[in-house]
Amino acid sequence: MAPDTGLAAPARRLATAAVAGVAAGLLLVVGLTVNGTLRGATETTFALGALLLGFGVLGWSGSVMAGRGIENMQRYMDTGSDWTEADSRRAMARISGFGVGVMLAASLATALL
Amino acid sequence: MISKRYVIKRLLLLVPVLFGVATLVFSILHLSPGNPATVVAGQQASAEEVRQVEERLGLTDPIWVQYGRFMLDTVQLDLGESWVIRKGEPVTSVLRWKFPITLELAVLGQIAGIMFGIPIGIVSAIKQDTITDHLSRVGALSGISIPIFWSGPLVILLFSVYLGWFPTSGRLTQRAYEGGAPQSTGVLLVDSLLEGNIIMFIDATWHLFLPAMVIGIYSMALISRMMRSSMLEVIRQDYIRTAHAKGQGRKITLLKHGLRNALIPVVTVIGIQFGSLLGGAVLTETVFNIRGIGMLLVDAITDGDYPIIQGTVLLFALVFTMVNLIVDLTYSYLDPRIEQ
Repeated sequence: MAPDTGLAAPARRLATAAVAGVAAGLLLVVGLTVNGTLRGATETTFALGALLLGFGVLGWSGSVMAGRGIENMQRYMDTGSDWTEADSRRAMARISGFGVGVMLAASLATALL
Repeated sequence: MISKRYVIKRLLLLVPVLFGVATLVFSILHLSPGNPATVVAGQQASAEEVRQVEERLGLTDPIWVQYGRFMLDTVQLDLGESWVIRKGEPVTSVLRWKFPITLELAVLGQIAGIMFGIPIGIVSAIKQDTITDHLSRVGALSGISIPIFWSGPLVILLFSVYLGWFPTSGRLTQRAYEGGAPQSTGVLLVDSLLEGNIIMFIDATWHLFLPAMVIGIYSMALISRMMRSSMLEVIRQDYIRTAHAKGQGRKITLLKHGLRNALIPVVTVIGIQFGSLLGGAVLTETVFNIRGIGMLLVDAITDGDYPIIQGTVLLFALVFTMVNLIVDLTYSYLDPRIEQ
């Protein structure tokens, strides 16, 4: 298999996370509607998705901005951690994608239900 | 020389950071229990009055509409108006007068941290495994571990109550100045100098000394720890040994050849932990009764003043990002390979 180059890998990572987010979001809306109103359920789901998106985007940009410094700091302080900027960026991109998916699911649910 | 491309790349990072923070704050506030309209209308308000407030604040709109509106307003630097604390006053105006107070405190803390942390770290590295080194390492560990809400009251008790050297709270001996403090920039030390009022400058410095030291302890501890490790690594480098072998004195070799390289990781840490300083300002201001942005944030959380909370957090994020940008540029100046 050819190695991932350019934007293909990040885009695929985001897309798969978003699909998973849509599925999880729809389940959450249904679950929350059982014990409350549809409006309340979609609002909570949307806010949870936004929380994940915000956390992911902030984590991603934080990794890009200060990741090298954090790696250095850990090395100099002998923390023995194997945290890397690249791993953190990938993880945060997935969280962001998942958050967008959940937010989309909340919007979709209002239209469909 | 720092390239323009590098600066632009780093500036562009501001966009996702602020977008992430805005989204995060928005979602956290909407997930918090309680209805902000009830807070704004007052506990005695009727259901109809609460509903009217909800409509006025746009809380009856679907959440994605509220999110979109909040984002659009934020992009236009419209952070809304205060709901409770300064009812009707634009958040940007409130922050304009509160932020310099916190910035002054954080910058003084950072200066204290750098001024003490770097020399302690250097001495500790040069005198490795001596009693001086052990003491500085224990001091650094204590500084990192002791929280501000404990060290703050402790220094007040020692230096203000028992010794009486410093005031316990505030920014100025208010009664000494008719007409209040000058407000050109909001930074008291700068304003008093601009007015040529040396007595006020000394008074402000006297008041700010303890809070700045308390906020700077963590910074000082971290910087000295980093400086020691970094200096030890530099000391073992071939170029230091060569300079030493050519007859150059040990101190000159370290300060002339070693310091610049040893400073590189320390500079990055200074930027990263500036965020902790701003966070620490919230606690320090509360302990020392300094009415800056930290106390404003605490009041806003207590009163449910969403626009003030959102504005304050966004401002903190902006400052943190800008400081990191400056640190990045300093870093790439010290080591041009970073830009690659």
